Amino acid sequence: MAAIGIDVGGTFTDFVLLADGVIRAWKRLSTPADPSKAVLAGLPDVPPERVVHGSTVATNALLERRGPRTVLLTTEGFRDLLTIRRQTRPSLYDLEPRRTPHVVRPEDTIGVRERLDAHGRVLVPLGDEELQRVVEAARATGGEAFAVCLLHSYVDDRHERLVAAALRAAGLECVLSADIAPEPREYERASTTAIAAFLRPTIARYLEPLQAALRGLRLIHSAGGLVAPEEALARPTSMILSGPAGGVLGALAVARAAGFDRILSFDMGGTSTDVALCLGEPSVRNESEVDGLAIRTPALDVVTVGAGGGSIARIDAGGALLVGPESAGADPGPACYGRGLLPTVTDANLVLGRLRPEQALGGSVQPKAERAAAALARLGSPVEAAAAVVAVANAAMARALRRVSLERGHDPATFTLVAFGGAGPLHACELAADVGIPRVLVPRYPGVLSALGMLAAPEAVEVQRGMVCAVDEAAAPAIANLAAALEREARQRLARFAGEPAALRWYADARYVGQAHELRVAVAAPAPAAIAEAFHAAHLERFGFHAPDRPVELVALRVRAEVPVPEIIFPRSHVASPLAEGTPAMVWTDGGFEAATVLHREALGVGATVEGPMVIVQDDCTTYVPPGWRGRTDVFGNLLLEASR
Amino acid sequence: MNLTPAQLTIWNGLLASVAEEMGVTLGLTAHSPNIRERRDYSCALFDAGGELVAQAAHIPVHLGSMPEAVRAVQTLAPWQPGDIAIVNDPYLGGTHLPDVTLVAPFFWEGRVAAFLANRAHHADIGGMAPGSMPPSEELYQEGVIVPPLRLTAAGRLNEDVFALILRNVRTPEERRGDFDAQLAALRTGERRLRSLFERYGASTVFAAMEELQSYTERLTRAALAAIPDGTYAASDVIEAPDGSLLPIVLSLRIEGETATFDFSGTAPQHHSSFNAVAAVTVSAAAYCVRCLLPAHAPSNAGFFRPLRFVLPEGSLVNARPPAAVSAGNVETSQRIVDVVMKALAAALPGRIPAASAGTMTNFTFGGIRADGTRFAYYETIPGGAGAGPSGPGEPAIQTHMTNTANTPVEMLERDFPMVVWRFEVRRESGGAGAHRGGDGVVKEVEFLSPVNAAVVANRHRVPPWGLAGGGPGTPGTTLLVGPHGEPTELPAVASIRPGPGTRLRLETPGGGGYGHGPA
Repeated sequence: MAAIGIDVGGTFTDFVLLADGVIRAWKRLSTPADPSKAVLAGLPDVPPERVVHGSTVATNALLERRGPRTVLLTTEGFRDLLTIRRQTRPSLYDLEPRRTPHVVRPEDTIGVRERLDAHGRVLVPLGDEELQRVVEAARATGGEAFAVCLLHSYVDDRHERLVAAALRAAGLECVLSADIAPEPREYERASTTAIAAFLRPTIARYLEPLQAALRGLRLIHSAGGLVAPEEALARPTSMILSGPAGGVLGALAVARAAGFDRILSFDMGGTSTDVALCLGEPSVRNESEVDGLAIRTPALDVVTVGAGGGSIARIDAGGALLVGPESAGADPGPACYGRGLLPTVTDANLVLGRLRPEQALGGSVQPKAERAAAALARLGSPVEAAAAVVAVANAAMARALRRVSLERGHDPATFTLVAFGGAGPLHACELAADVGIPRVLVPRYPGVLSALGMLAAPEAVEVQRGMVCAVDEAAAPAIANLAAALEREARQRLARFAGEPAALRWYADARYVGQAHELRVAVAAPAPAAIAEAFHAAHLERFGFHAPDRPVELVALRVRAEVPVPEIIFPRSHVASPLAEGTPAMVWTDGGFEAATVLHREALGVGATVEGPMVIVQDDCTTYVPPGWRGRTDVFGNLLLEASR
Repeated sequence: MNLTPAQLTIWNGLLASVAEEMGVTLGLTAHSPNIRERRDYSCALFDAGGELVAQAAHIPVHLGSMPEAVRAVQTLAPWQPGDIAIVNDPYLGGTHLPDVTLVAPFFWEGRVAAFLANRAHHADIGGMAPGSMPPSEELYQEGVIVPPLRLTAAGRLNEDVFALILRNVRTPEERRGDFDAQLAALRTGERRLRSLFERYGASTVFAAMEELQSYTERLTRAALAAIPDGTYAASDVIEAPDGSLLPIVLSLRIEGETATFDFSGTAPQHHSSFNAVAAVTVSAAAYCVRCLLPAHAPSNAGFFRPLRFVLPEGSLVNARPPAAVSAGNVETSQRIVDVVMKALAAALPGRIPAASAGTMTNFTFGGIRADGTRFAYYETIPGGAGAGPSGPGEPAIQTHMTNTANTPVEMLERDFPMVVWRFEVRRESGGAGAHRGGDGVVKEVEFLSPVNAAVVANRHRVPPWGLAGGGPGTPGTTLLVGPHGEPTELPAVASIRPGPGTRLRLETPGGGGYGHGPA
């Protein structure tokens, strides 16, 4: 079956078409005012049956707080949930601490006179009169979107349902916390619900022309699965972190085909770098923070650091070299592109000869090494400064890689680093050496990996519900009941667009009684013994100790129902070209310039071997192979690099 | 060996991550709500001489006091691999008794090459009231005092010491979980530090430890040099439980790249718990200077080198035994910050904000559940931040010496026999001004079973000050509302035994306003 993956980025919209065993990739300039324009314009005349799409529309709307006036209805006494949050300040040493604003203005919150206790018993009943008052108050705000989050609704949602029914009867559309994130912790749940209500109209407006034009449209969500547009609209927060998900899945798909399923994905772009760990599967986390706001929606566990090609370098008052988090962005951009004056990581790579001046990055403007050198001269001798800038940027990225591997109990020596994004392959080998990763894989098309990854994503929904209880045999019936309800809902939701699940995967959020933080653990079955066993093992792996005799507590149960896509059969090439012609160039390696070879990626056929120092250029990406590294091209066109000493 | 500019940043990251990773382990595995939800803990790395090398930023009150603990446990030397020292004595390296510190020597090639330490605020450490933050008059009432002792010796748990501590606290099971977490955090730190020694060699690690201290020293000196030379005086007061106002007096001398904090004239120590030990005072003053440094500056011993302190013996800011100290750490520390900020405001007009709430509004309670199990709980309640030159003060936020999160109401009501009826912004409580002060909060709870509760707060009579023409914030109040609705106003420091159906309503102060403006 033919399929196309489309990834809308800030500058380019990427297309990857998979048909008859052939992969074809192209790009179009994005149309930020209405991103669907570039999508529709870039499609082939006869679009394939499967059109898979990812975009940053939700992310950008949230970051820019662009959306309808949103009203929160919550239990009386807690109107300021979204102001108070967890009452902490974002940075410890700040003369004037401030939080980022939430999507609901403080005056747009309505208190509902009602109250349940922690076990769902009614402390204050919710009467008709109060419902009427609440609806009137909601109408009077002039709000256009409504979110409802009442205390303890994850235990019992009857009051939320009453409020919803009353609002809907009055013609006011609303989103319920019991639907969006039925888990304990009121701020996180309210925040997620408010954001969902806030984003829904924007996403609906964006999807409308695409839905009209494309029947089989699927959207990638933050946890790396595909859903129909209706499902995405029901859970808009699942779109916020969908951007990095495609890249992780693409890295995994490419690596799996090449024979590696334990990978660290490394996506280095202009302003930031995303890293993630996959143990055969990507790991998923339950909660994320975006621009200071909590989002309780499953997402791939991607760690982002503020270091990318555009990160600006400077020396501080104590004499230390800092790289980022300030970025030159697209405007003015790195100094070498003619407008910026401050030195960036890209400028450093150019001065070191690792980025080639003859190569126009991202298309148009040719970078100028002398401008890069002039900018770096602010820091000292340009070449030494450039080497230092790369070292500092690498250290920041190495820290992120260690965080997702070592710090979570996984030895980097057992992984393959999959490098992509405009700048990933430039830094990958040095970084791998630093962290102790033995192998680097540079995919054939590192610039469109995210669009490719969407084609590898299964159709999947995750359904979760909070239930705080001891994990013991006495709880077995309750857990079984919950599991049955979750399974029913998961099957229903998936059936609406994908059919019967091939697999159900169970997860538990569990902790030792008395702990406050849960671990999300995969469990063999939704039953007490399986949950306890998986939890003890996960605690040992993650923290280096466990207490098998201590009681375990369940906080939430989750199920993921999937219909996998047929595995991508990557086209194999049989065009062998063990030797490729290159041009000589001087490249800074480890303490000095060395004679190196510059090759074009297109010239590397199957089995072609490479040996550092070498620079391999292609349209939108450059790979630097340091001395002591060698590698070859596999049948899929991937570059596999290993340290030879 | 000198580090290059790039190496400074790289080593700053490597050593900081040893401390930060300890913090992750501790925070995610601990049992006390204080530690787990509220991050009331600190983790740090010290060189072989006991000088602070890196400290994870969790809570500022530990900034200057962790080194004291590492110094204090040196009485136990010589060390063996597998030794871990424990201490909470405020007069021997502690801050107040609930803060329990563990210190582990790190061995490399048979010699002590560094120390790892962590400190966590336990929800109860015994004493006259659950939560161990009582309205006390001497230290002995505040809990079990642990002088420097070996909790483990050569890798073996010292069961006698452990048993004695656990027998003196109200919730021993929870304590055991917290000690497990603290020990696990030390193991995490040990592993990470060992990998640095293995990878880079001892001499490089030692050089990095030393160079980073000099780096922080340079950053600190640069920040102090930017303050005009001069002597800046300021004072403020603590509202003592007996009704008296206890002055804290500061003369801040800036000379070139150094600062001297002279607290001569401050009130003598008091027969209440509002006494700060010297380490707390140093932490509070250091916090203010730290706010003037760039965010990435490492917290280490270099930071303290250009700072001098004159702390009168036996005063509110340098108490002697057996003065009670539990509120010194949480309340007096906030007032010391106010005084230092007021002095800095004179030195750096247009840079420093008005006073924030100035109290942590410490709320503790405990009792026995229907099933016979004991519980003890402690939390601090935020107020308003002071408005500043760049805008209004943030409402309902932890300021200055604390940054602990709240426990979600949905979790609180599961774990404790209580209902939280209200937790909202206390509207209009911020001070007037061109930029309004941040509003405080109102928190109202109902107890469902008999408890023993205490509130230790301040700024109930003398409000947080405005600056540059801005008005003061509204002072805090505490109300007890009986089952039949009869309200009684409580003093800022109160110990109560409310029965079921009684409500406690805490209103915290708003921050001061900034600049002349609408009332």
